[in-house]
Amino acid sequence: MTEIRSEPFVVNIGPQHPSTHGVFRVKVTVDGERIVDAEMVMGYLHRSIEKLAEERTYTQNIPFTDRTDYLSSMSNNLGYCLAVEKLAGIEVPPRGNAIRVIMAELQRLASHCMAIGAFANDTGAWQTPVMWTFREREKILDLFEMTSGARLTCNYMRIGGVAFDLPKEFEPACRKLLATFPSFIDELHGLLSENEIFIARTRGIAVITPEQAINASLSGPMLRGSGVAWDIRKADPYCGYEQYDFDIPVGYNGDSYDRFIVRLEEMRQSVRIIEQALDGLPGGPYRTEVPLALRPPKGEAYARVEGPRGELGYYVVSDGGPAPFRFHIRPPSFINLSLLKEMTVGGTVADAIVALGSVDIVVGEIDR
Amino acid sequence: MGTQWWTGHQLAELAERLVPGSVARADEVAAYLKPESLVETMRALRDSEEGDFVYLANLCAADYWTRFEVVYHIMSLEKNHLAVAKVEVFDRENPVVPSVVPVWYGAWMQECEAYDLFGIRFEGHPKLYRIFLWDGFPGWPLRKDWLSMPGGLQPGLNEFSGTARREPPPVRVVE
Amino acid sequence: MSGAPFLATEHWWDLRDLSNISREILEFLDRVGPDWLAYVVSPLIGFVAAFLLFVLPSQLFVGVYGERRLIGRMQSRLGPNRVGKFGLLQPIADAIKLIQKEAITPRGADKWVMWTAPVVFVAPAVLVWAVIPFGPNMVIADIPVGLVYFLAITALPVLAAFMAGWSGNNKYSLFGAMRVVAMAISYEVALVLGLLGVVLFTSTMSLQAIVEWQREHDIWLVFLQPLAFVIYFISASAELNRTPTDIAEAESEIVAGYLTEYSGMKWGLFYGMDIGYALAAAAFGSTVFLGGWSLFGLEEWVPPWLILVAKTHLFYFVFIWTRGTLPRLRIDQLMALAWKYMLPLAAINLLVVAAERLWWHEAGLGDGIVYLFAAANIALALLLVVGWARVLGYRPERVPTRPRLVKHVGGYVAPGAETGGGR
Repeated sequence: MTEIRSEPFVVNIGPQHPSTHGVFRVKVTVDGERIVDAEMVMGYLHRSIEKLAEERTYTQNIPFTDRTDYLSSMSNNLGYCLAVEKLAGIEVPPRGNAIRVIMAELQRLASHCMAIGAFANDTGAWQTPVMWTFREREKILDLFEMTSGARLTCNYMRIGGVAFDLPKEFEPACRKLLATFPSFIDELHGLLSENEIFIARTRGIAVITPEQAINASLSGPMLRGSGVAWDIRKADPYCGYEQYDFDIPVGYNGDSYDRFIVRLEEMRQSVRIIEQALDGLPGGPYRTEVPLALRPPKGEAYARVEGPRGELGYYVVSDGGPAPFRFHIRPPSFINLSLLKEMTVGGTVADAIVALGSVDIVVGEIDR
Repeated sequence: MGTQWWTGHQLAELAERLVPGSVARADEVAAYLKPESLVETMRALRDSEEGDFVYLANLCAADYWTRFEVVYHIMSLEKNHLAVAKVEVFDRENPVVPSVVPVWYGAWMQECEAYDLFGIRFEGHPKLYRIFLWDGFPGWPLRKDWLSMPGGLQPGLNEFSGTARREPPPVRVVE
Repeated sequence: MSGAPFLATEHWWDLRDLSNISREILEFLDRVGPDWLAYVVSPLIGFVAAFLLFVLPSQLFVGVYGERRLIGRMQSRLGPNRVGKFGLLQPIADAIKLIQKEAITPRGADKWVMWTAPVVFVAPAVLVWAVIPFGPNMVIADIPVGLVYFLAITALPVLAAFMAGWSGNNKYSLFGAMRVVAMAISYEVALVLGLLGVVLFTSTMSLQAIVEWQREHDIWLVFLQPLAFVIYFISASAELNRTPTDIAEAESEIVAGYLTEYSGMKWGLFYGMDIGYALAAAAFGSTVFLGGWSLFGLEEWVPPWLILVAKTHLFYFVFIWTRGTLPRLRIDQLMALAWKYMLPLAAINLLVVAAERLWWHEAGLGDGIVYLFAAANIALALLLVVGWARVLGYRPERVPTRPRLVKHVGGYVAPGAETGGGR
């Protein structure tokens, strides 16, 4: 009797694939449904933002940061502005800091909405969770539109503060949103995290041990999902995060399900932070006036914020001129992808999609 | 409260203590390590009780016209401190830096990125390839002198003038 | 065929029984035409009537429009509402768009197989309706093995799906094709074993006779055979590629499965007939398990075919509902469900039915015993489902669905070392 032998073959998941969330490609070698090898191919969206930024003044570079991670433009603005402020030694007034916190946390809510919806879509829930999360995300984007005039690429933070003060109608609208948001999270919790099929699809898939996670420089929900308590808002508080009371959710064994519930819990904590920030919103100026053509002294600065996807770092080197000499972004979802091969090999194609979805990539940020 | 940012002197002192002769110089910001003993020093820093630099936060390169700098932002999660280490490369034609992937796996992608955009070869990297751009892309775009490199982008909206346009993919007939 | 004594009139205008009209037409043809004419025309009348009155409108307005509107409601959006009043003309606009589109054949594709696959897919979808009884006299062909006929016909689209997946010269299509075949083999076995229980109880394979049996005993088979019903529902949804089990065209995994390379009306035929099969499965399910056209005597007042249509659409609604709610299972989980859970349960169910049937006949019990059987079988079904899962090692342990909370940063948080606490 001859032995039945199967031959591995290569399948391109992406660049045009419903589940790669952009033009990202994974070349997987499959043996039947099992994945035996995976290789990432990226760069389809490479715009060389780091090079472009060397030609423009510090203020002109803020819109570029919108376009890296287009799902969390506020956090990106914030990280860049913090780096330049650190470089130039600029203090931000308390009101500006509070507004920044509110905006960054609203952005985290919006981004996690997107992440959870897309992740549920990857597990095959036929569009329902993603539509629900989009519904809530729209409300947050309305708030952004009210404040900054833009919905997606807000370009709201400025060096030394924020671009505009909050409009009068912002606070009631934001409080209205916050009043309904916890019930929406409960709804998602009921729809997904207690769903037997969803648990079966995500629990134990793409497990990352804490040692692996730390060694591979993962950050954000990926790191916390593995049970490592690390959150830059707590570890290295910026914008006055030390005034607010919130908890860090950590997962149990680092599988896709843990990353999902960590994201869900982070949304609850974000709601808490925004409520506190709104309650204690100080008066006064919202921005320190800085010259438009800012010339920071010679030197370098690395500032990081806890973006929705993890540690979002900006490394800016100044040579005393009006433009940054070197401008480097530490993109969280790019580095979170380091372990993709370890996460996917051995599983099925369906597991690979779930693993990729749990990383929550934004291709604009990976390729820059 | 908050992360303790080490000065370069602090890190240099620790590195010198762990691996004697590993530090080239140090300033307020960073400690400049010697490339010859880089991996050894980094491993010692990671494993030392005092340093505990288990986490590589950021790895990037910078071009200062006469030299390249590779910058390592390393930190400890439990002790919550962060230090900056740097390596200088002076050879512009063929810059080589030892790879720290054996120490931190997280350097894998970031070293590929630095290679792609600066042309710095990381020796000992398991698979160094141009991660964003295609093989044969002319020049190294983030270098300061990229525009004057052979095959660089010329003024105007023309194609790349270099020879290495992307070749048509080899056609393979599927049986 | 048994008569219908309860029907008040046999006039052609009595719309409670549409067979009156067709009988008038056939008798007229018999009078004026040659002998064979009525024989040739009679199935045509049946199919045309079934399609014009039920299948096509349902497919268009329930399957395409209704499903999209309903799922839109579930997803808190509007669904199609632009074409015509309330968007009712949307299916027609879709069809026009699909017909206009180019039907692309990839260069490496096996052209003949690729072009025949939609035809092979469509033909059984028409033939399926031959055995579904719409009323006491309204069945196109009341063949004695209608149940087997239905199962045989609905196994054919698997072949078409495999042809479609194989011929497209696309790896995703191949994935889909292989998944279709693997799934069909697994679920067909459990499905047939489950339906055998029904056949044992009613001692017939004719669908009309099954409906009559349910009418006579005043009970639906869903109560007598709850386990078989569940198995039928899951298997049908698996074979139809409805969402909790739609691994064959899993959009997020393998793009569109075996349909990846199809475009234009060739894709449209697959799409439309998928709905057709779902409706047929719903009609078959309501016939076998939900009493078909009978509704506890109400069928004497309401047209029986309306009752069946309503039941079919209700059944179909459950398909839509699960589609709008549940995520998808992985292929090995789906196979495990078929082979490890549904197949043994179907076998046990068959054994129980055989014993009950034997006892009923040997002891000469009256018909009232079916209510006892119903109660016993429902309890037994619950017990079996839970017990079998326990036997196979499934423990409904409460997995933590909320993460741990920590107040301070640091390294790895060992279990039990949480410091945080919500509000």
